[in-house]
Amino acid sequence: MVVGDIATGTDVLVIGAGPGGYVAAIRAGQLDLDVTLVEKDAYGGTCLNHGCIPSKALITATGVAHEAGNAEGMGIHADPAIDMGGMMEWKEGVVSQLTGGVEKLCKANGVNLVEGRAEFDGENRARVAHGGDGQGSESIEFEHAIVATGSRPIEIPGFEFDGEHVLSSRDALSLESVPDSLVIVGAGYIGMELAGVFAKLGTDVTVVEMLEEALTGYADDLAKPVVDTMEDLGVEIRLGEAASGWEETGNGMSVTTETEDGEETSYACEKALVAVGRQPVTDTLNLEAIGLEPDEGGFLATDDRARTDLEHVFAVGDVAGEPMLAHKGMKEGQVAAEVIAGEPSALDYQAVPAAVFTEPEIGTVGMTETEAEEAGFEPAVGQMPFRASGRALTTGHTDGFVRVVADAESGFVLGGQIVGPEASELIAEVGLAIELGATLEDVAATIHTHPTLSEAVHEAAENALGHAIHTLNR
Amino acid sequence: MVREFKLPDVGEGVAEGEIVRWLVSEGDEVTEDQPVAEVETDKAVVEVPSPVNGSVKEIRADEGEVVPVGTVIITFAVEGEDGEETTGSADTEEPTASQEQVGEEPADIGDGESDEVETPAGRTFAPPNVRRLARELGVDIASVSGSGPGGRITERDVREAAEGGDETDAEGPKRLDEGLKSATRKAGEDESGGEPASGTADLEAADRERTLAAPATRRLAEEEGIDLNRVPASEERDGEAFVTPEAVREYAEAQRAAQVADAEAVAAEEPSEREEREERVPYRGIRRTIGRQMANSKFTAPHVTHHDTAEVEGLVGTRADLRARAEERGVRLTYVPFVMKALVAALREFPEMNAALDEEAEEIVVKRYYNVGIAVATDAGLMVPVVRNVDEKGILQLASEVNELAQKARERSITREEMQGGTFTITNFGAIGGEYATPIINHPEVAILGLGELAERPVVEDGSVEAAHTLPLSLSIDHRVIDGADAAAFANRVIEYLENPTLLLLE
Repeated sequence: MVVGDIATGTDVLVIGAGPGGYVAAIRAGQLDLDVTLVEKDAYGGTCLNHGCIPSKALITATGVAHEAGNAEGMGIHADPAIDMGGMMEWKEGVVSQLTGGVEKLCKANGVNLVEGRAEFDGENRARVAHGGDGQGSESIEFEHAIVATGSRPIEIPGFEFDGEHVLSSRDALSLESVPDSLVIVGAGYIGMELAGVFAKLGTDVTVVEMLEEALTGYADDLAKPVVDTMEDLGVEIRLGEAASGWEETGNGMSVTTETEDGEETSYACEKALVAVGRQPVTDTLNLEAIGLEPDEGGFLATDDRARTDLEHVFAVGDVAGEPMLAHKGMKEGQVAAEVIAGEPSALDYQAVPAAVFTEPEIGTVGMTETEAEEAGFEPAVGQMPFRASGRALTTGHTDGFVRVVADAESGFVLGGQIVGPEASELIAEVGLAIELGATLEDVAATIHTHPTLSEAVHEAAENALGHAIHTLNR
Repeated sequence: MVREFKLPDVGEGVAEGEIVRWLVSEGDEVTEDQPVAEVETDKAVVEVPSPVNGSVKEIRADEGEVVPVGTVIITFAVEGEDGEETTGSADTEEPTASQEQVGEEPADIGDGESDEVETPAGRTFAPPNVRRLARELGVDIASVSGSGPGGRITERDVREAAEGGDETDAEGPKRLDEGLKSATRKAGEDESGGEPASGTADLEAADRERTLAAPATRRLAEEEGIDLNRVPASEERDGEAFVTPEAVREYAEAQRAAQVADAEAVAAEEPSEREEREERVPYRGIRRTIGRQMANSKFTAPHVTHHDTAEVEGLVGTRADLRARAEERGVRLTYVPFVMKALVAALREFPEMNAALDEEAEEIVVKRYYNVGIAVATDAGLMVPVVRNVDEKGILQLASEVNELAQKARERSITREEMQGGTFTITNFGAIGGEYATPIINHPEVAILGLGELAERPVVEDGSVEAAHTLPLSLSIDHRVIDGADAAAFANRVIEYLENPTLLLLE
């Protein structure tokens, strides 16, 4: 008899069951490929377990409490009490329902699920170390591999995550009690989203940011309503201050920051949350064994087929480069699986939407006016403020606007920026318009339901065309 | 035509700028992108370029004046136009240099009179299904001109680009890019151009000697296994037959239908019956891996299998005596540990059987340790856990280790290390039933011992036939390393130990 060190053979080995990986695995299964999905932690990856889903759950829950408690203007007088344990339990329920769903879908599509940490062991071979002592390991031989190992929060020097004083975003989403005070290092979208959550829970929140602006990467006029709301919630935002160290004090800790000029400030707080960005996880894969080298940022370079430098190895999601967005990873996963199956698939999207779940929300897709100019278009821009929207008025949220950017000559929609209520949802219409090659006329000629927030998209298109009814034309 | 030029919004919250210096005077001729003024904001001094070719008509701001963004600071007279004011692009803010990118603005911006402009930034306006179709047909979508609203590319545009030969060149409406090969190269150029599917010209040409078709069509024909020369041509180009993808698909469909009809005519039973009688199971995963290992061993090592039978009444008795005692200690005692002990005793005398062939170094590696692999059938296929240092262990310990490893193999919790480092392998196909087989060597080991079913069989004793317990043995050897006579001698020694288990006490 044979066998010895037996390796399981598979057509496609997918490493990582986050949004990029599980989509790749399911799609590969649908395409009749023999597919093995290795996950070291939990199905659904960061997005479902430690990122998008739990954070949005808490954002919604704290938002409900905050709204209820601040609706006197609507004639509602309430004093909501938050049961943190109950809130966390509900959040966990949402997460486990989704992760369970991912597992079921994988199985239903014939995906072999393997628990453990995978690393390459040759050009067509990987070893999977099973979790825990004495659980052993197994070898898997693959024809194709899809790397979908995602990312982890970046630590900054002197602020190593300990789960007690210095928290990662993941820790913050699992706190069992509400801290009295919190210093958040980083005013990017994760820091600002969580600042809102904790401020609404009654925490005294200070955000320190090394750069001179909050929500860097988003235009000033998009970031401003968010910063204003945060300040209304009592969040103190300190720009141009880099967190330089911390020490334990009698009743918590003290975080020190430093400006470029060397001016130091200390902030007393119960806990500190570091949210300065995420880095790809490629250092656990033993990439040398397969002959791949990540770039300086740790990312794997890929082409428009999600293929790395190696013909048979693909990378999707956060490891494949910015933007680190679940929906970008999902698309890449789908394309990688289809390319392996021989389908004429490619990453040829025109725009990747992005959303920030602050109050108000920010949604962007495609080009800004400046980017359109730089790309050689003559942009036509239309804008609709939410304060002119009937529906926005009835929700009590009128901060923000919808902006649509198009090519003046052809009318093709090139981009959109929205800040305001439900911006994360509304931006989808602009994304669809871009992908379909719709023109301003197309959007303007489409009847939108009244009274809804989506009318603002319609109105912005009309505004760009110079015949808006409900706003003054630019 | 007069073109107004407003102080551009240079972004980053700048609301106004100071005109530091005019670089032109009224009446000066200017060319597009030529700097006309230096403007200072609170962040930088930038040069403002002219958006047009023409002359300076009017300078409306003085040097040193601070003007808000959006104020008209200069007007230009554009050549060849009358003096009438135009609303054209004057209502929108003129994009110009950003602070970092002085003079880098694209040439066409703001030039309302420019010729038909190609889509900037290589952008194509086509919905995802059309882009996918372009990939399927091998069309570079950037080179397709759109017939939809505002020049949007439609499915039909892509299909026409895929089907069109270079005949459209002169008119050129479907072809913006001379470099586009896949969709527009003339079929006749294939041989020289190395285009795909040029080989079809060499095939038997029953209907035509030469057929024109787009490369995408040729690829389609190749995929369908169709000879283009046999496809009825729907069109003619330059007096030659021209085949479209639709024609290929129709022909392929007809061929398939004909084949199905043939098969149906030949087959006695209904197709549905046949489908019920056959099932196609993917040859994948662990099954495929096992298959590869088996083939590698079988076709690398010339196998010879030596068959013999041990009469094992003594072993049956010994095991029966010890079984209850073993159970008291919580160990299930099978015959395998005895076979292992007998095997190792024999291996000590025939060390070349406990060896591996290092083909690269051209050396036979004789092992002075005795790690015996036991092949285990699991749901996932065969696994071979290895019991280490069998010579140093007692029967009970061996029994418990074999049981434990087999269990782990079945649960797939066995580690790679626990299946490595074997020196000799035993396979017990008799556990299921059967006498002799040809075990395949666990390459690069040089021998494997297969055990048949231990059962009562007729044996001849002193001229009469008696019932006795016998154990059929099948020993496969790598004939490159082991001679047949040695195999027989080794098997005899194993049998001797199995027939007289008390001899093992001497070991």
